[in-house]
Amino acid sequence: MEFWTGGGMAKNRLMPNALANTYDSYVRGAEQAEKLGFDGFSASEHHFMYDAFQPFPLQALAAAAAVTSKIRLVTGVMLLTLYDPLEAAEYVATVDVLSGGRLTLGLGMGYRPMEFDGLSLAKKTRGARLTEGIEILRLATSQETFSYEGKHYRYKDTGLRLGSVQKPVDLWFGSGPSIHGARRAGSRGFSYWLANTPFENAKTNVEAYRAAGREAGWPEESLRFAVFKDLCIGRTLAEAEERREYALKSFYDEHILGYGYLVDENGNHLYNPSRDHPIYQRFVNSLFCGTAEMVIEEIKRYEDLGAEAMSVSTIQREVFVNEVMPAFR
Amino acid sequence: MRIGLGFELDSGDDAHEAWHAVLGEIQRADALGYDSVWLEEGREAGASCPAPTLVLTHAACKTKSIQLRPAARRVDRTHPVRLAEEIAVLDMFSRGRAGVAFASAHRQGVPPQQLHETIDFVRAAWAGDALRFRGEFVRFPSHTPDEAPVGVSHPAAEGELVPQWDWGGVMPDFLAVTPKPYASRPPTYVEIADDATLEWAARHGISPLVTAKVPTAEAVERFSRYWRIAAEAGRSSAEVEAVLARRIALDGEGNEYALGGSATDLATSISALRAASAISHLVWVRDAGDEGQLLQFASEVQPVLQA
Repeated sequence: MEFWTGGGMAKNRLMPNALANTYDSYVRGAEQAEKLGFDGFSASEHHFMYDAFQPFPLQALAAAAAVTSKIRLVTGVMLLTLYDPLEAAEYVATVDVLSGGRLTLGLGMGYRPMEFDGLSLAKKTRGARLTEGIEILRLATSQETFSYEGKHYRYKDTGLRLGSVQKPVDLWFGSGPSIHGARRAGSRGFSYWLANTPFENAKTNVEAYRAAGREAGWPEESLRFAVFKDLCIGRTLAEAEERREYALKSFYDEHILGYGYLVDENGNHLYNPSRDHPIYQRFVNSLFCGTAEMVIEEIKRYEDLGAEAMSVSTIQREVFVNEVMPAFR
Repeated sequence: MRIGLGFELDSGDDAHEAWHAVLGEIQRADALGYDSVWLEEGREAGASCPAPTLVLTHAACKTKSIQLRPAARRVDRTHPVRLAEEIAVLDMFSRGRAGVAFASAHRQGVPPQQLHETIDFVRAAWAGDALRFRGEFVRFPSHTPDEAPVGVSHPAAEGELVPQWDWGGVMPDFLAVTPKPYASRPPTYVEIADDATLEWAARHGISPLVTAKVPTAEAVERFSRYWRIAAEAGRSSAEVEAVLARRIALDGEGNEYALGGSATDLATSISALRAASAISHLVWVRDAGDEGQLLQFASEVQPVLQA
């Protein structure tokens, strides 16, 4: 199994720092991740954020490509529904050329209303547009000319003059913890990258993904899956839970609770639910806490399930490398 | 006089080879003391660069001092928010070395008003916090009503402060484009290829740029008009930087588009151009590869110009 990690460029109020310093740290983090033996280094995307979150993951990866030579450069995730797909394909081909074919794309649909409004795009069509967008990226980075007839995007005999190195570029459908995303990814034959969720839910989703893929006639070997997994490692379980508390306070509570990331069983976005809301609690429980031995056991469950890659959080990168990663190398 | 290098990348099919030659040249230029690099957006050839800001972000991590200028940047393919964001992010990665030069409206096939509104929006997005913009071509946020004032506006400072994470699903009428650039205002240039844009740029304090595809005599005339209109509008020449792009034949023949001659001849003709058009930045448009000329210009022409 591959291990991916990443870095953030934003102002964190519990860790005050000049914003530009976080950009320097990101570049150094990419260098360090390669030296430590990680297989991928990622950047994600948000817009109009109070903390000045980095909005253009491919631009961050263009920077990371300058200081690395082997590690894969991963969007985790890029909100493809906030781009014109052909314009996105040009950016993708650019970074793939700059990195010598090391680009991996995790592609998500987004959920924050202000991002769609600020970028003049409809939020309600995002699911279908993500699916079409991925298909267009696949065509644009593998064929000199192509035509596409979708509900939202239509192209006739078009193509990029700039060719990517990979044909096509490595593409992953990034999804929240709902089973609908799993089925959508499987039915289209996309590789599936699942957000933080407890193992039992992940297992259910992966089975649904594979079933949808088989039913649609995609070969078994093309149905790959990866997972995001925040791992809080301590010398004791209590210490690990303290680290989780810090991760929640310093980042997740504002980002997960405030912007509609959590979705109820009817598909409604939850804005600032109480902290004892079961759906928030399920998210909290998805941030796995344990000693290094417990974390190894947890990762092995994903390995046994067939995960191709696990994207792990950045806070305890060195602890992870020293105490967990050797069990998988 | 600042001296920069310009790359058009409008021929050739091997992007990997062409871009790496340019990136190598940018690193050498950085070490030799060239002031800037201008990389044009293009889609004409396989080696053309459709996203110069990304390539220059890559270059930012390999250089220390050289200013980075995505050039011929189009406004018709990219949302204005993303234009503001990408230059701000380049500015962050390069610690204040970013700027942007926009292609003329004619080159993009858009009405000049669309280009002007977009530049207005981008500069407003960099300069302030929450904003709203209503124009004919740019609306931000997109649900901005018709009765909102034309141009940029800011929220009134009243009512209770509600942190963004408590907004819930409510669509705000004003939004901040983030991050802000490292420098408070990255240099912004526009090709003064049509009368409407020349006049608008002169009146609004936008730096003028004339490309290497315009004959030198015509370039001088355009700069003269620009300065006359700017003076009429009460603007100071210190607000902007006039940029002229030229091909240069070092120890070769010049023509109506290109400067040529010995190092001394070049220093003389560049000084004459500076006197005639008040340019403060000359961009040497070139194909990557002739390292000897790069060194010769830096050691023989540049010191004379700066003396």
